[in-house]
Amino acid sequence: MHNIVPDAAAADPVIRVEGLAKEYRVFDKPEGLAASIRSLFHRTSRVVEALKGVDLTVGRGEFVALLGPNGAGKTTLLKLLSGIITPSRGTARVLGHVPWERADDFRRRFALVMGQRNQLWWDLPAAESFRLHQEIYRMEPARFERIRDELVDLLDVRRLILQPVRELSLGERMKLELVAALLHEPEVLFLDEPTIGLDVVAQHTIHEFLRTVQRQRRMTVVLTTHYMKDVVALCERVVVITRGQILYDGSLAEIVDRFTTHKIVTLDLDEAPDQRRIEAFGFPCEVRGPRVILRIERGRIADVLPQLLRAEGVRDVSVEDVPLEEIVAGLFRSDRRQAETVGAAR
Amino acid sequence: MSGVAGGTRGGSALRGLRTWWTMLVICIEERLVYRGDFALGTLMRFLPIVTQIFLWTAVFSATSRTDIAGYSRNDIVAYYLLTMVTRAFSSMPGLAGGIARSIRDGSVKKFLVQPVDYVSFLLAARVAHKLVYYAVAIAPFALVFFLCRGYFPPPPDAATFAAFVVSLLLSFLLGFFMEAALGMIGFWFMEVSSIVFGYMLVQYLLSGHMFPIDLLAGVPTGLAGVSLADVVRWLPFEYTAYFPAAVWLGKVRGERLLWSLVIEAGWVVVMALACRAAWWRGTRRYSAFGG
Amino acid sequence: MRRYLSVFLTFARACLVRDMTFRANFILECVTSLGWMSMNLAFYLLVFTFTSEIGKGTGWTREPYFAFVATGLIINSIVQAFFMPSAEELTEMVRTGGLDAVLVQPLDAQFLLSMHRFDYSSLANGAVGVGLLAWSVSRLEHAPPAIAWLLYPLLLACGVAILYGFVIMLAAATIHMGRNQSLYDFWFYLTNFSRYPAEIYAGPWGGPLRALCTFVIPILLVVNVPARVVAQPFTGESWGGVAAIVIAAGASLVVSRLVFQWSLARYRSASS
Repeated sequence: MHNIVPDAAAADPVIRVEGLAKEYRVFDKPEGLAASIRSLFHRTSRVVEALKGVDLTVGRGEFVALLGPNGAGKTTLLKLLSGIITPSRGTARVLGHVPWERADDFRRRFALVMGQRNQLWWDLPAAESFRLHQEIYRMEPARFERIRDELVDLLDVRRLILQPVRELSLGERMKLELVAALLHEPEVLFLDEPTIGLDVVAQHTIHEFLRTVQRQRRMTVVLTTHYMKDVVALCERVVVITRGQILYDGSLAEIVDRFTTHKIVTLDLDEAPDQRRIEAFGFPCEVRGPRVILRIERGRIADVLPQLLRAEGVRDVSVEDVPLEEIVAGLFRSDRRQAETVGAAR
Repeated sequence: MSGVAGGTRGGSALRGLRTWWTMLVICIEERLVYRGDFALGTLMRFLPIVTQIFLWTAVFSATSRTDIAGYSRNDIVAYYLLTMVTRAFSSMPGLAGGIARSIRDGSVKKFLVQPVDYVSFLLAARVAHKLVYYAVAIAPFALVFFLCRGYFPPPPDAATFAAFVVSLLLSFLLGFFMEAALGMIGFWFMEVSSIVFGYMLVQYLLSGHMFPIDLLAGVPTGLAGVSLADVVRWLPFEYTAYFPAAVWLGKVRGERLLWSLVIEAGWVVVMALACRAAWWRGTRRYSAFGG
Repeated sequence: MRRYLSVFLTFARACLVRDMTFRANFILECVTSLGWMSMNLAFYLLVFTFTSEIGKGTGWTREPYFAFVATGLIINSIVQAFFMPSAEELTEMVRTGGLDAVLVQPLDAQFLLSMHRFDYSSLANGAVGVGLLAWSVSRLEHAPPAIAWLLYPLLLACGVAILYGFVIMLAAATIHMGRNQSLYDFWFYLTNFSRYPAEIYAGPWGGPLRALCTFVIPILLVVNVPARVVAQPFTGESWGGVAAIVIAAGASLVVSRLVFQWSLARYRSASS
C-alpha cells in the first residue's frame, strides 16, 4: 500500500478519512430445489467487506480520481462521504461535518452526481427540477438565474430544459444532472462514474465542462471511474482502489515512474524484417509487417536505441510509456494474484 | 417461459414431459425464493374472510331470521371459505393481459410459425402453475379449514362430492377459456385493459365472490317470476366462484344441480370455441399486417 | 416551512399537469375506482334488504351505515391520492438510486419520499363520499349538532394522520427490505379492517381484536370516530373517542417518524 499525501492537503483538508470500513451481511442465494426448500428454514450468510479500513486526505481545489475495477469499493467510499450510508468502522469528515449525520448545513455545500442513475425528478421537465433545486437549496432568484443560465449555456442544453426528463437520451440527461448539481455552487462535488454509457462526444463535452467549472470555482472534486480516459482528461491525483483497499495514492505521472520498468519502442522499417534478426536483440518483440514493437527496460534505452537506429531500413522510431490502462490493469492483476496465493496458502 | 419443443412424436412426448417437469421445478424454486412473501401472502388472503365473518355475524344478530336466502351464519362463513377453493381453480391472474401484451409486442408470432398450439401451450402452462400453487398452498389452506371446521355442515355424500369435483374442474377450464378469449380481443383492439376491467367488475359482482348468488333470489328483474338469481344462473360468471361452493353446501340439489352442471359445461364449450375462433380469425388478420 | 410548502405545490402542480396530459388514462382510473366502489355500495344495499341494522343495538341502520361508508371513502381517497403513490414508487427509487439522490438533498427525506407524487383520480371516490355523506346525513333521525360538524374535519385529519403513519412505516420497511409485494397487500388487509364499524368485532375473538385494533394498532379509530360523531347521537362519551383519535394521530406520526429515521440510518443502498 502506498500513501502519499500531497503538501497542499496537509494544511486544511476538505476531506479527511481515517480507517473507514464498510461491511455487509449478504444472504446466500440457494441453488437447486433441495436448497430452496432448506432456505425456508435456515439461511446462510456471509460478510462482504466492501471497504477495509481506508485512509484518505483531500485538500481544497484538488481533482481526485478513485480508480478501480467494479466492486472495488469506490462507490461505497463515495456513498460514505456523501452520507448515504453509515460505516462499520472508522471516521470521516467532509468540510468539517460527519457526512452520515446528514446535517442540512452539510448537504447544502456539496453535490453528488451518479452516472446512469436518475436524480432529477422523472416526471418534471428539467426547468422545474431546477426551480425545485432553487427552493430546496434556498437560493436567491437573481443568483439562481445567473448561475443557471451560465451552466445551461456552457453545456448548450437550453432547448432541452422544457422537456420531461424521461424523454431525453442518456447523454442529455447527464448534462442536465450536472447543471442541477452545480446550481447551488457546491464546494465539493462527488461524481460516480459520470461518463459511463456515454458516447465519445458526450464524454468529451463533459470533460471540458468539468475542467472549466472546477477551475473557475476551485471546487474539490472526487470522481470514481474505471475509465482511464476520465482520469487522464481531468485529474492529477489518482487513488487506485481494489477490493476495498487503497493500492496507490499519488500523481498520475508517478504511476508511470513507479510501476513500469519498461518503455515501448516502436520502429517503422522500410520493409518487413526477418523475425529472427529482431529477436536477436534479445527483447520481447512484436512484428507487424514493417512495424516492430519492442519492450525495453528503461535503464537500457540510452544504450540500445542508437544500436537500433543504426540498423538499416529504419524509417521512424517512437519511444513511449506503457499505456496507463495496462499499468493499472497490471496493478489490479497482481493484487488479485496476491490475494489468491494468500487464500490458497490458508 | 421457454417454448415447448417440437420434434419426432415419441421423442417429443418425453421431451414435453421433461420440459413440463423442469417448468414445475423452476416455478417452485421461484416461489420459494420469495419465501417470506409467499407464506405470508397465502395466509393473508384469508384475512378479508375474517372481517366477513364478523360482518355477517352482526347482520344476523340484528335480525330475527335464522337464515338469509337459505344460508345460516355458519353456512355463509363456510361458503366464503369454499369460494376461496373455487377461485384457486378458476382465477387466471395475468392471462388476458399477457395474451393481449404478446399480441401487441409481437411475441405471439413465434406460435404462428412453430408447430405448437398457442392455446394448448397456455393451458399446459396454467396447469403447471396451478399444480405448483396447490402443492405449496395446501398447507395454509388445510390449516385454515381445520381451524374453521366448526362452521361447516356435515360433509356431503359421494354423489354430491363427485359433482363438486366435476364443477371445480369445469370452473378451471371455464376461467381459463373466458380469460383467454378476452385476451384474444387484443387482435382487434389495442386497449384491452378497459374491457378486462369491465369483465372483472361484473365478475366481482356476479361470480359469488362477494356474496352467495342466492341472495339475489329476492331481487326482481321486471319479468314475472324471474329473479336476478335466475338470470345469473344462465350466465357463466357464477360458476367461477359460487357454484362449486353451493354444491358442497347442498344448496343446489337434484335436477337443478344436473342442469347447472350442464350449463357450466356448455359455457366451457362455448368459450373454448370462442377462443379457437378468435385465434383462427385473429391470426389470419394478424399475419396480414405483419408487425 | 415556507420552503416545504413551495416544494409541495411544485410537485402538486406537476402531477396535475401530467394527469391532464394523459386525460383518457385519468378518466379511466376515475371510472375504475368508482366502479369498484359502486359494487361495494350495491352489496351493502343488498345486505340491508335482509336486515335493518348491522349489529344488534349498535345504531348502524342503513343511513348511519352509509354515512360511515362515506367517511371511509373520504379518508381513504385522501390517503390514496396524496401519500400512497409516493410510497408505491419507493421500491423503484431504492432500486434505481433515486433514494440516494433524495438523501443528499438538504430537505427532510421523509417529506420528499412521501409527498412527491400524487394521484388525483383517487379523489373521485372521495367526491362520491361527500355526496353520499350529504345524502345519508339528511335522512338521519337526529341531525348532528353544530359541534359535530366542527369536529368532523379535525377528526378526518386525525384519521388521515393515523393512516399516513402506517404508510410511512410501510415505506420504512421497503427501504429496509427492498422489494416486498406482500407489504402492499398488507396495507390492503389492514385498511380492510377499518372499513366496518368497530361494533361488529364482538364475541370471544372479536372483543380482543377490537381492543387490539383500537389501542395498539389504532386502525379502528380512523373511520369510526369521525363517522360516529355525525352519524350517531353526540353524547358526552363521544369526547372519549375524540381524545383517543387525537392522541393516536400524534402517536402514529411520532412513532412512524422514529421508525423511518431508523431505517434510513441502516440504509444499505444498492451496490454498484
